[in-house]
Amino acid sequence: MRSFVNPLFAVILAGVLAACSSTPTEQDTSATDTSGMDSQTGTTQPVQRPESTRPDTSSVPLTADNFHNHPSNYDGTTDTRVIYFAFDSNTVPAAAFETLRAHATYLKNNANAKLRLEGHADERGTREYNVALSERRAQAVQKFLRVQGVSSSQLEVVSYGEEKPAAFGHSEMDWAKNRRVELNYVAGRP
Amino acid sequence: MKRLILALVLATLTVAARAELLIKVTEGRVDAVPIAIVPFDGDNEAPEQVSAIVEADLHRSGQFKPLPAKNMLSRPHTKDAIIYRDFRVLGQEYLVIGHTKPRDDGRYEVTYGLYDVGRQRELFSESYSPTKAQLRDVAHAISDRIYEELTGIPGAFSTKILYVTHNRGAKLPYQLQYADADGHRVKTILSSAEPIMSPSWSPDGSKIAYVSFENNGKPNIYVHDLASGQRSVVSRERGINGAPSWSPDGQRLVITLSKDGNPELYMVNVNGGGLTRLTDNYGIDTEARWMPDGEHVVFTSSRSGGPQIYMLNINDRSARRVSFEGNYNARPDVTPDGRYLVYVHRRNGSFNVGVQDLQRGTFDIVTQTNMDESPSVAPNGSMVIYGTQRRGTGVLEAVSIDGRVKVELPSKEGEVREPAWSPFL
Repeated sequence: MRSFVNPLFAVILAGVLAACSSTPTEQDTSATDTSGMDSQTGTTQPVQRPESTRPDTSSVPLTADNFHNHPSNYDGTTDTRVIYFAFDSNTVPAAAFETLRAHATYLKNNANAKLRLEGHADERGTREYNVALSERRAQAVQKFLRVQGVSSSQLEVVSYGEEKPAAFGHSEMDWAKNRRVELNYVAGRP
Repeated sequence: MKRLILALVLATLTVAARAELLIKVTEGRVDAVPIAIVPFDGDNEAPEQVSAIVEADLHRSGQFKPLPAKNMLSRPHTKDAIIYRDFRVLGQEYLVIGHTKPRDDGRYEVTYGLYDVGRQRELFSESYSPTKAQLRDVAHAISDRIYEELTGIPGAFSTKILYVTHNRGAKLPYQLQYADADGHRVKTILSSAEPIMSPSWSPDGSKIAYVSFENNGKPNIYVHDLASGQRSVVSRERGINGAPSWSPDGQRLVITLSKDGNPELYMVNVNGGGLTRLTDNYGIDTEARWMPDGEHVVFTSSRSGGPQIYMLNINDRSARRVSFEGNYNARPDVTPDGRYLVYVHRRNGSFNVGVQDLQRGTFDIVTQTNMDESPSVAPNGSMVIYGTQRRGTGVLEAVSIDGRVKVELPSKEGEVREPAWSPFL
């Protein structure tokens, strides 16, 4: 028998809750940018990235370990189309929340828009197992967007495993760049 | 003078052809059987050097150590011309002689014999009359016959392999290739802008199944008839359609589908009908291989946390775990006698091919490279071909089930991966 609570969904919820009470730096980043975005929500103007209010993140070193959660990978708008993941993880990184909320807002305001979530893995491990793992990453992003109120009919999941790498080297940094979900608008591109 | 130039050109061509045949045996057996394969009379004038192909085949098995022709004291082509002493003093146990002669009808006559040097007697001799296009087939048939005569195990030199290549930057970068087991006579079966995965043979070798993302970037499972090139879609469900494996009776496939939200094993008729779910749990279930008994499938499951190997009874749907070493075991294949499982095992961050003896319960790592994957067993159970990385790119290698023989297969440009060894054809 299947239980009522989908464990994956529980993980996402836990991730959302954790983000709300995470480290001061992340909290500050999130709070500042969210307020900046809220002031624009609902207007017909394109969402402007509030450059001046963003903290300077250039001093945070970019490593293979923090690549998935590094602020420089996410601009908080629908311009960001790739979400990265930690090794062996399908948890949506906190640094990507604001970006995903921007996509959710866009999708809710544009019912004709359709987003394909393409899951990818790094090259380590067996190929079909990696297809399964990367599907879980794409499903994690899908559930994040659904929680934000996006209609399931606007979302589609495809998983490619390690078959379509973004980086072709074999270093830890290459692998960090390949553990990702690509947000590909197949209709109504922002 | 003209004759001399022609002879020189022929000699150069011969060298080139020989070089192409060189397969690197990186690790051989110390007890490899010494065998002298005298270059066949007429081989240099024939479009394929039959004796050189036989030599490369036996060398690649790791169980034979062919004598280089330059070290031979005499090079007989007929039984009467054999001086056994010339081969005995060089420590040779067996001798192969023969000829390749063009016939008036455009075919060739290939006649050869196998001789026991110690007992100074003929073991057998036989003759073939191939067309030019069949010369390589005859060479592999000769290798099979000699191998079986001397080891008691059927040779697998006449078999084929499927593999996937990825040439980044090409218009159609993903290709499914079909080749002789020695890597020659490559034919491209499918070229695509989108990934191709998991080729699998029907038990009679006439058809293959694979995953192709050619339909709008989504994975569909295809069955492809090799002779006619005709294809049909077996599965195009929502989500993952993956990891096809053919049943021993050729009627069904076991596949992986995630249409209900989670990757599970299903059974489906080759024509796409009769879809039946086999597993049901929150873990990932995938990479199934049918066991030779037709009653079980061995597969990868994460139901206990990380990926481990499980055995599923397809009648009562019960599954039991069979791998217990380490925290990553995946993508099993099985020997034709059902005794050994080969699968990918992670140890200290390195992915290697492991062999589990289901009878004795032992487990051994048989490869030492770093990113080994997709092991596929030869139909005679002697060797395992697998994908790995050398010089930053994907290549194919083979290892004997006991780990004593290792062979690097000649690789072309681009990534080569996911080899699948054919059944006996």
